[in-house]
Amino acid sequence: MLRRYSLTYGLRLAVLAAALGLWQGLSVAGVIRSDEFPSMSQTASALSDLLTQSTLWSAVGQTLEGWGLGLVIGAAAALLVGTFIGVNGFAYRSAIGVIEFFKAIPVIAILPIGLVLWGATLTMKFALVAFAVFWPLVIQVRYGVRSLDPVVRDTTTVLQIKGARKFFMVILPSAAPFVATGLRVAAAVALVVDIITELIGGGSGIGERILLAENAGPSDYPQMYAYIVVAGVLGMVLAGAFAVAERYVLHWHESQRAAKAEGQDRGYSERQVLVIVA
Amino acid sequence: MSPSYLASLRLAGRAATRVWLFVVLFALWWFWSSGSKSLYFPPLSQILKALWTQWVTGPARAELAASLEHLIVGYVIAAAVGIGIGALLWSARYVRVATSPYLYFLYVLPAPVLVPAAMTLFGIGFTMKVVLIAFAAVWPTLLNTLDGMHSVDQVKLDTARVLGVSPAGRVFRVVLPAAAPQIVAGLRNSLQVAIILMVVSEWEASTDGIGYYIVNAQQSFDYVGMWSGIIVLAIIGTVANLLFVGAENRVLHWHYGARAVEGTR
Repeated sequence: MLRRYSLTYGLRLAVLAAALGLWQGLSVAGVIRSDEFPSMSQTASALSDLLTQSTLWSAVGQTLEGWGLGLVIGAAAALLVGTFIGVNGFAYRSAIGVIEFFKAIPVIAILPIGLVLWGATLTMKFALVAFAVFWPLVIQVRYGVRSLDPVVRDTTTVLQIKGARKFFMVILPSAAPFVATGLRVAAAVALVVDIITELIGGGSGIGERILLAENAGPSDYPQMYAYIVVAGVLGMVLAGAFAVAERYVLHWHESQRAAKAEGQDRGYSERQVLVIVA
Repeated sequence: MSPSYLASLRLAGRAATRVWLFVVLFALWWFWSSGSKSLYFPPLSQILKALWTQWVTGPARAELAASLEHLIVGYVIAAAVGIGIGALLWSARYVRVATSPYLYFLYVLPAPVLVPAAMTLFGIGFTMKVVLIAFAAVWPTLLNTLDGMHSVDQVKLDTARVLGVSPAGRVFRVVLPAAAPQIVAGLRNSLQVAIILMVVSEWEASTDGIGYYIVNAQQSFDYVGMWSGIIVLAIIGTVANLLFVGAENRVLHWHYGARAVEGTR
């Protein structure tokens, strides 16, 4: 077992080293022009400089601010509406067409409206993130609410559990895996939208920094790539955090136990990829 | 009353349930904006007129065509490369294990951050957009292909081998059909990514495309034009989705049929 792990990680490190070495080699040999694409060592030193500066961390903070606020608002609204259309058939049939329509609209189409309404502000950022997150999540919540086991539903009726108690003790736990899946996807979508609002909407954060570095010309290109790496790491950390939180919060649920039993040979879990499209 | 009369009444009721909210929203927008003096929220009638004079009969048709060209070329490349590389990685176990964290990194990297970098490398022309769309859209298809193939029932593969099916035959007749639902799911996800990147790339630096049209209209205070561009994007998203679902039902009808029989989900 130990040998297998060390082989896996050895291979991965070797690939990383080879890729970075190739990058540096091509730059040194002049195959890649330095005014178009900085060398690996330049990028690495720009990254290590940035890590000690407050500009980077405040940009990360600003990005996380828009991401978090938008996600919370969008998710709360989706929980409410999703539960409502989950229990009310008429509301579902009335709204599903509209929801599917808005879900299909690329969020970036809404960006100009956000810009004329709020300008390049935090409000614009989280409003667009919330909008983007809401539509797919509301469908996911509705599926979760509908997934209630008929036996459990009938038991609830017989025991006369109603209202808020029914929502928190019966519906929500049963819908939880669907909601968790939807949230994990929403977190990734929210980051993309948030970065778009910074990159082309002018909001503050990592996206804005990348654009500024590009505008500053070739001397700042290493910084641009350093910020791109930061954006990727942020994406990985957030995705990882949601996956871990899901496993932790839902450890009692059969879907998680099944995932655990399946074995963890893969670099990324099957569910992680699958659910992006759920 | 005859049963057929009742049935058609029920059908009409179901159809009415599905559309009434659309009608109400449209009417609200129409009447609320009809007397609007706000520069930002022009009357819907003007927007619809611009939609016709600009996008159907007018000069913006060229922007629409340019955008669709970027989208289709980029997406087709992404789909082909994603399925191809995904299948190759599936067959090469060590390469897969060694590269999977990096593939995942590229998958979760918010692709719009690459726009400025792509501009420095490829300029602001056709190549930049197609490369960017293809690069961003390839990961969902690639990872879903890989994962779908990974979860193929080993017993089926062994059975095919024992029955003397050639390696190529095993890929095309066992692995691909088994992985198809997940590949399609990946392709759908890729399409959404491609549409977003299409607009972002045209927005940021471009001389043509819908994104260019919208940002241009916004900066020259032509808010009617801006709204018409937004509606065009909404229509593209909806139509792309409908086309995809239609194609999916056609390609995967056997899968849904089988699932319905099994009674799963």
